[in-house]
Amino acid sequence: MSTPLVLLPGDEVPSDHLPPANNNPLKLGPGLKLLSEPTPASEKPRHVLTATQAGILSTDAKRNTVSLLSFPNRRYIPTVNDLVIAQIHHSSADYFHCMVTPHTAHALLGQLSFEGANKKTRPMLKQGELVYARVLSVGLGAGAEVEITCVNPATGKADGGLGPLVGGMVFDITTGMAARLIRASSSSPDDDDAVDGLVVLSELGRKLESIGGFEIAVGRNGKVWVDCSNAGDSAVKATIALGRCLQGTDEHNLNPADQKKLVSKVLREFKLA
Amino acid sequence: MVGPTVSLSGLRRADGSASYKCPVTGYDVLGAVNAPVELPARKDALRPEDATIEVFVKPGNTTAGVGEGYVESVLRSVLGSIVLGREKGFPRRGVVITLAIIGGEAVERGDSYLTILPALLHASLLALISAAVPLSMTFATTLLAVTPSGQIVQDPPVEDVANAVSLHVLAFSSKGHLLLNESQGRFDFETWESVREQAASICQGANPRGSDGDTAMDDESKDGTLDNFIREAMEDHLHRVYSWKIESN
Repeated sequence: MSTPLVLLPGDEVPSDHLPPANNNPLKLGPGLKLLSEPTPASEKPRHVLTATQAGILSTDAKRNTVSLLSFPNRRYIPTVNDLVIAQIHHSSADYFHCMVTPHTAHALLGQLSFEGANKKTRPMLKQGELVYARVLSVGLGAGAEVEITCVNPATGKADGGLGPLVGGMVFDITTGMAARLIRASSSSPDDDDAVDGLVVLSELGRKLESIGGFEIAVGRNGKVWVDCSNAGDSAVKATIALGRCLQGTDEHNLNPADQKKLVSKVLREFKLA
Repeated sequence: MVGPTVSLSGLRRADGSASYKCPVTGYDVLGAVNAPVELPARKDALRPEDATIEVFVKPGNTTAGVGEGYVESVLRSVLGSIVLGREKGFPRRGVVITLAIIGGEAVERGDSYLTILPALLHASLLALISAAVPLSMTFATTLLAVTPSGQIVQDPPVEDVANAVSLHVLAFSSKGHLLLNESQGRFDFETWESVREQAASICQGANPRGSDGDTAMDDESKDGTLDNFIREAMEDHLHRVYSWKIESN
């Protein structure tokens, strides 16, 4: 992608930018639409791909997908299967009422939607405590309730570290950065290449290994939870340093080299490196 | 000629925002878009399969009045024709556009609102794109005044507006449709036709479409047109936002 192609709403996707045709059907990502153009009855109908948002066209030949990198969303809109960090607002007979995004109705988290929970062993979460949860359903239409869960309903297990988040601290990041962090962590960690141009986490992991490493959970709702409880006396310093590195990378759109510089600078300021 | 000044996504709390400043008239408009948002239930019933578009225009020095109400209805109909309100997540929800006039000559009570209409339209289009609201196309719009001597002036300064025989605001979509035609004053059809031709060339370049329907890809004729200016503003912004993506490839 040397010169990225920017499309505006209504622009057609040039056919030479599409992945080469093969047997698998082409998958369309967000921001693109398939339209059939009206043609005289004798001819075959012509199909065109048009953009509905402004964005950079990005194709993946391996997965045969084409999508549009649009303006990053400012506000998180719950989507089924997203991982989020929610804060308990209050508890009722059957549900914990949680805050996922500000200024919206509370999301519901069942009192028994935890791994191995039954009426006797369910966690007693108090107001302000945090959970790492998955969006179960979002409902339709105005006033629909969002339901989240801390357990995979099919297996009854809390895969991927779902459940209450104890200790640590939450930092706010943009939703675009949260999506990048999740993509970066889901690909193989041995890969030395920067995933999505993100090296800040692997760099921090290398530098903080000596003091005991850290735990991190990223919510699609623009929250990242960081815990360095293994670090002993420097736990607080390391937590703040991590948050500063992530927020700085986010705010200034740093490239990999600058991310490494930021990490060394922040760790030096906190006398951790 | 100096082009308009644009900045995108400047407001932190709105889903999308844009500021647009016209160098000739000095109008400075700040637009914010929130979409999709939940609306009070009574608004759903009218068109349950479509999004509701709401436009608010706030003058810099007073409360909104009849003039703003008129310009809001014009904006609502133009933007309604390009917003794809049936895309996922949008039906029965609202697209709320708030436009604040933060600079330039104040529009007095009873004055023509056509002078500021192009700035309002451009600001709302850019804010909609910045909020990633699905659109079927973009548009460009311009204000033309016909002077007593029959000359057509683009983006006329305030004294020219006062003396003008007629004022015209025309908007063209990126596909060449005439989206908006608001005129006031005395004019005949020939004058309007030449106004339309000049507006089309300002918005889209001299010959935007060949007779066979192909887009004329002659870059020189496109330079300096309003269509091109909107495209460049978007390209600049997206390159900056996705610099990590572009550099890592």
